[in-house]
This record gives sequence, structure tokens and C-alpha cells, in this order.
Amino acid sequence: MNQAAVELDGIWKRFPGVIANAGASLTVRPGTVHAVLGENGAGKTTLMNCLAGVYLPDDGTIRIDGQEVRFSSPADALAAGIGMVHQEFRLVPTFTVAENVVLGSAPSILDMTAINGAVAALAERFGFDADPERPVWQLSMGERQRVEILKALWRDARVLILDEPTAVLTPQEAVELGAVLRQMVEEGRAVVFISHKLDEVTAFCDEATVLRGGSTVASSIAIADVDSGQLAELMVGSSSVANPGPPHVGVPGDVLLDVCKLTVTDSRGLTAVDSLSLEVRSGEIVGIAGVAGNGQRSLTDAIAGLETVDSGSVTINGIDVTTTGIRERVNSGLAYIPEDRLGVGLAPKLPVTHNAVMRSYRTMRQGPMLSWDRAKAFSQNLIERFGVKVGRVDDPLASLSGGNLQRLLLGRELSGNPSVVVAAQPTRGLDVAGVGAIQNLLVSQCDEGTAVLMISEDLDELIALADRILVMSRGRIVGQFDPRQASRAEIGEAMIGAHS
Amino acid sequence: MKRLVLARREHPTRGGQPVAFLFGLVFALIGGALLLTISGDPVFDTYERMWDRSFGSFDTISATFNRAVPLALVGLAVSIAATMGLWNIGAEGQILFGATAATFVGRLFPDLPGPILIIAMLLAAALGGALWAFGPGLARAEIGVSEIITTLMLNEVALRLIIYLQTTKWKDPDGFGFPQITARPEQAKLGAIWERAHLGVLIALAVIAAFAWFMNRSVWGYELKIAGSSPKTATYAGISMRRKVIGVMALSGAVAGFAGGIELSGSAVRLSENISNGFGFAGIIVAALALMRPSGVAVVALAFSALQVGGLSIQTLGVSSAVSTILQALILFGAIGAAVLSTYQIRLIERKVTA
Repeated sequence: MNQAAVELDGIWKRFPGVIANAGASLTVRPGTVHAVLGENGAGKTTLMNCLAGVYLPDDGTIRIDGQEVRFSSPADALAAGIGMVHQEFRLVPTFTVAENVVLGSAPSILDMTAINGAVAALAERFGFDADPERPVWQLSMGERQRVEILKALWRDARVLILDEPTAVLTPQEAVELGAVLRQMVEEGRAVVFISHKLDEVTAFCDEATVLRGGSTVASSIAIADVDSGQLAELMVGSSSVANPGPPHVGVPGDVLLDVCKLTVTDSRGLTAVDSLSLEVRSGEIVGIAGVAGNGQRSLTDAIAGLETVDSGSVTINGIDVTTTGIRERVNSGLAYIPEDRLGVGLAPKLPVTHNAVMRSYRTMRQGPMLSWDRAKAFSQNLIERFGVKVGRVDDPLASLSGGNLQRLLLGRELSGNPSVVVAAQPTRGLDVAGVGAIQNLLVSQCDEGTAVLMISEDLDELIALADRILVMSRGRIVGQFDPRQASRAEIGEAMIGAHS
Repeated sequence: MKRLVLARREHPTRGGQPVAFLFGLVFALIGGALLLTISGDPVFDTYERMWDRSFGSFDTISATFNRAVPLALVGLAVSIAATMGLWNIGAEGQILFGATAATFVGRLFPDLPGPILIIAMLLAAALGGALWAFGPGLARAEIGVSEIITTLMLNEVALRLIIYLQTTKWKDPDGFGFPQITARPEQAKLGAIWERAHLGVLIALAVIAAFAWFMNRSVWGYELKIAGSSPKTATYAGISMRRKVIGVMALSGAVAGFAGGIELSGSAVRLSENISNGFGFAGIIVAALALMRPSGVAVVALAFSALQVGGLSIQTLGVSSAVSTILQALILFGAIGAAVLSTYQIRLIERKVTA
């Protein structure tokens, strides 16, 4: 085996309340396309950000061509030949393709004719069809991605990291990307390809490393030697972090949440939810399994009223709320635990009290003023009832740990006695105690007659908690499973579309 | 390889802002001394005059207070807009249109008793300012037009409106043909409270305190804090970002317009295009130096007022107006630079590419 292009060894990276990487390792040989697989939250992106100089790992070593390196910025990583194409593109929309490609590494005297020619030549070498003089805002997402790749190639990146590159591509564009990647590795470069989609991994990649819970569970396995079922099992795992106990058995009653033929277009203009229907009954937990990025977020946002619906309907507690505002939905009995707790569910810069009363402050008004006595009493009560550990209610929310943040958020949402709870990734990134506490709260809420729709990428959690598991893929429900009968492998294969 | 970087301090220095302000002042005084030496002006006499004319006597202190009033109110207006990340740089126009609205009321009811007329005129001024900023707020909320551009352009509209009124409809018949607007009713003058300081000083303090109190106690203020700090969270909580943008711009305009009303009844005798006197722009600096906090606006406005009053006074010593302006700018630079250093620190870091 020749010298590895990239060697990551024992990488640790901690964020407040979350351990993203726990001793992860990765070895990439030059001339190969190397897949990094794992569920969302497995630490793939964090590991890649450590390699690309975005984060400095807390512990562990990075070696490039056998040389140990320490990057303090993406520029350092680029200088060492590591280029990364992020999920969100970092392009200047009003600049042309060529201007974006050379941005940051342009000579001090700009000869745009020469640069345009050079960029066009580079594009042609890799079989790109790119007009260097077109402004980026006119390009499709697939074309923009090519500009990002050209940016890395212009800087002569020998290792190119692509973070879920096919998420924004049409199937045809994905095939074209595959051809470009092959061309790159034939020149002796290495490509790290982060993906969830097994068909692409088997089509484009030579080797795969699988991450789970921040650590590497399988290193550099040759794609040719494994089948998709084995990879699925490696990704999904066979043991849960939390000990969930016996499966939940609910007593389903009336339909409280009815989603009928819902279609949602996301902000990128792609169909995120595609004529999807589902029902959740009183006293029932319905789990949605699926690899991230298959429309789960748009589904929950559309139910909560944060995203507009193209067609179809959402009915909560018998009331059609398809076109009503968020407040009306909450009044109809909806509680929503969004996936992005700090960005959507909470206001981290404000004190605990401000966050605790976010759903109920309208009942605490005295004329135009807010009764802070009642607000403080309410949050004190919430903190005690749901066991949130805080210093003082006036402390900024950001001082709380991840588990306590989620307890506060869940407590706030449940305190209004909702009839429907939509919980997106409610236990992701929490420690064992936090996971157990959140799961118990959801189950006891359900047993009181609430309909619970739970989105999770942790299959074990869904198997333990849900009465029914629906598998979501490309905006549709592609399978329904009874967690007491279905095997993990069956559900896992439906999740990654192994038999789609 | 080593390089200098500006790194955010983990804990902003306690009491850093006033200390930083002092450092900035010392820096500016040294720089100014150099400048005065070069221009051949007496350094100590100049500084002494600046101090004397801003804080030297009760008479000058009270004049400094008066000038601080519009600065503080505009500073408050700008910081209100900033709670939603908006830039109201049209306070100049809002002052002018607020004063125009107040003049309109004064012309409509010239015989009302003083206190009632003053209240009516001040309310009209606030309403006028709110109206002037409402359009930009609406355009920003509905179709995303930059409020920076619209508020700035409306400054010119308000200015031209006054020039138009000056020469036509509201032209003073006793002005000997001079294009000026008829003086406001005499009884609409704000009374003196101490030496030259007029009632506007207390009113401005009350407005600032009332806003701070309302912001911290009201439902509206609570919603505004969420909307300003986490827009997505506000939407999630069912708070309309659209309405908050429009409301905040209108309130910001109202406060600036109110400043116009205070100027009309406090320092001026008639509406003119000079009534805004650059306060609309100086107030932006005041807000920035006060870190967009209402509590800081009053103090910074007073210091800024002293700087302006003192800077103007040295011209009578023979210091050229250019030197006086550069000196004011130096002091501002010092203060702003020091303010940056109270939240950031300069660090020498070593970067390793390969080891």
C-alpha cells in the first residue's frame, strides 16, 4: 500500500454539550474516491471540517502525505492541498464563474482575458461545461457546485472533500459528477465523498469508512467486498446508546394529526415533500425513519406552519390548518420541537425566562405590559417540573447544557397540554441521561392521549418508542413497519433506498 | 510564521466602555496637540477654550445640555432601529418633517395656550417622523428594499419640502421678502429649567427612560427582543417579523421627528432647513459609541455635544475651522478605536502549517 494522502488518527472534537468526534480516524489513499458514511450526527461533517482547517481538533493527529500538520484556518488547509466543497456554497452571486474561481488567489494585476482562458482550460480538462464569463447567480445548483470544485482545483487541491455533494443535484448531474471525480483520481488526487446514499457510494467510490456516534466503526473497507445490506447495518448500528426498555404499546384513538397528499418545495426550489400522506392517532407514537435530507425538515416545518405548502392539507385536531399561521396551529393544540433547537426553537442570547414563556406570554399580558412576576413564576414552575438545571432564570440561555436546553424546550411545548406533538430529532446529540429523560417525557405525554410524530435518525430509538415506523425517502413514505416485527436490516435498507 | 489578529475578548472588560473613552480622549488630545503645533496655534489655550466653552461655567454647561438633546434623541432613534438590525440613517429627514408637522399644527392653532400647543406640536412632530420612516419600513418588510437607501433619500425630500414652503405657502409676510417661514407661536417655546437649559433636556431623559422601561416590561419589547436576537425563533413563536420591522422603523422615525419638534420649540424660533443641523448624522455616531444601548445614549450625547460646542468655540480664537473639524474627528477616532479594543484584543499568534 502506498503512502496515504490523508491520515486522521484519534480525532476528538467537543462542542458545548455534544461530543461530535470521539477518537475518529480516517485513512485516504491517493487515486481513490473514499466514501465517509454515517447517519446524521455521526460526526462526518465535523471530522471533515477538522481536516479542512475549519475546526481545530481537541485531540488527535492529522497527517498529509505522512507529514503531521496543524491547520488553524481553511487557508492553511488549502495551502497544504486540502479543498472542501461545503453543503452551502460559498460563492459571490454577482461575480462571474472565473472571478469566483480565482477569488482569494488572484494575481494582483487582473488580466481577466487570461484568467478566463485559464479557467476555461481547467474546466475542459475535467470535462466541465462551464462558461467562465457567466455570473454565478444565473447558474443552477449543479453548475454552482462545479464552480466550487473548480475553485479547489484552481488551487491545485490534491485532496478534495465533498460534503453530501449529490443532495442538490438531479440524478443526471450526479452521474456527471461521478465521471468528474473519476477523472480527478486518475490524476492521482484523492476525493473524500460524504454521503448517505448507498447507490451512489457503490457507483462512485473505491473505499468506505463508516462513522457512528463520533467514532470510526469500519475503516477503509473496499466497496467491492461488501453489499449494501452490510453497509446499512454498519451505519445504523445494532446497539443503542440509551437503554430504551421494552417497546412502547399505545392505545390508538381518534386521528389528531392528518397530513393529506402534502407537497412542499424547499428554499432551493426542490420538491422536498412529495404528495405525502400520514395520520397520527391519539395515544400513538408514529416514528419517521430516514436518512437526513429526505424532506423530514420540510415535512415538520410545513406541519408547524414555518414552510408554505404547495398542495395537500394538514389537519390538527379536526381543524384544517393548511393555510393558517403558526399561532393558530399552536392554539389548535400543536406542539413543535424543531430540529434546530438553538436556531429555531430557542433564543440563546435571551434569559431562561424569556425562552420559557415563548408560547404562553400572550396569556400573561396586562394591557400592553407583560407581567414578569407571572412569567418568572411560570418558568420557575417549568424548570422544577421538567428538572431543568439552571443557575438563575435571568441567566442567558446559552449557559445551559444541551440536555437542559432540550428539557426546557420540550417542557415549554408540553406545558400547553398539546393534542399533537411533532418532535424532530428530539434526542440528537444528548447524553444518555438526557436521551432517557426526553424519551420518557414523550412517552408519558403520548399515554395521556396525545398524538406524537417523532422524526429520528436513530433507528433503535424509533424501534423502542414508536407504535408504527414510517420510512421517508426523497420526500415520500416508502415503507411502513411494525417495530415489534420488522428487523433492523429491513428498515435500514428501506431508509437508504437499497431496494427502491 | 507570526501574525497579528483582532480577537474578540471572552469577557468584555468590566467598565471597559468609559475607560476606553478616556483612553481615546488622551490619544486624541496628544494627536490634536501635534496638529495644533503644526498649524501654529497655541495648544493649551485652544484646549482651555474648548473646555471653558463646553463645561467651563453653568452658562456653557447648560448650553451643552441643550445641544445634547437632539443628539441623544437621534441616538435613541438609531438604536431603536438597530434592535432589529435596521439602519435608520434618515433621522435628518425625520427631524425636518417632524418639525414641519409641528409647524403645521402651530399655524393651525396659533392661539392655543402654551402647554397645550407644545404638547400638540410635539405629538405632531413624532407622528410626522413616524410617517417619514413608515414608508422605508414598509418597503423593507414587504419587498426587501434596503432601508438605508430609502431613509437617506427621504432626507432630501424633507429638505426640499421646507425650501418649497419657505418660498411659497408658508413664507413670512413680515420677512422683507427674505425666504423664511413665519415664526412659530411665541407661547410654544419650551421653558428654561436651569440657566440656558430648556425643558427639552428633561423631556429627552424621560423619553429615553420610558423607552428602556417599555422595552424591558412590555409584550412588544419582549417580542422585539426575540425578533432582534433570533429572527427564525421569532417566526417559530408566531411573531410577525414583517410587523416588527414596520413598527420599529416607525417608532425610530417618531423619536427622530420628536427631536425635530423639541428643536423647533427649544432652540429655534421658526422652521428652516437648518433645524436638523446635522444632528441626524451625528446621532448615528452617538448610537454607535453607545453600542446601541439606550442607557448609554444620553451620556455619549452629552460628551459629543461638548465636543461640538468646544470645537466651534475655538474658531473664535483664530483656529481655522478645518483644524477644529479635524480635532473633533481625532477625538471621535480615539473613542471609536478604544471602544473596539474594549471588546476585542490584539494578539500575536503563531501559525503553523507544518510541524
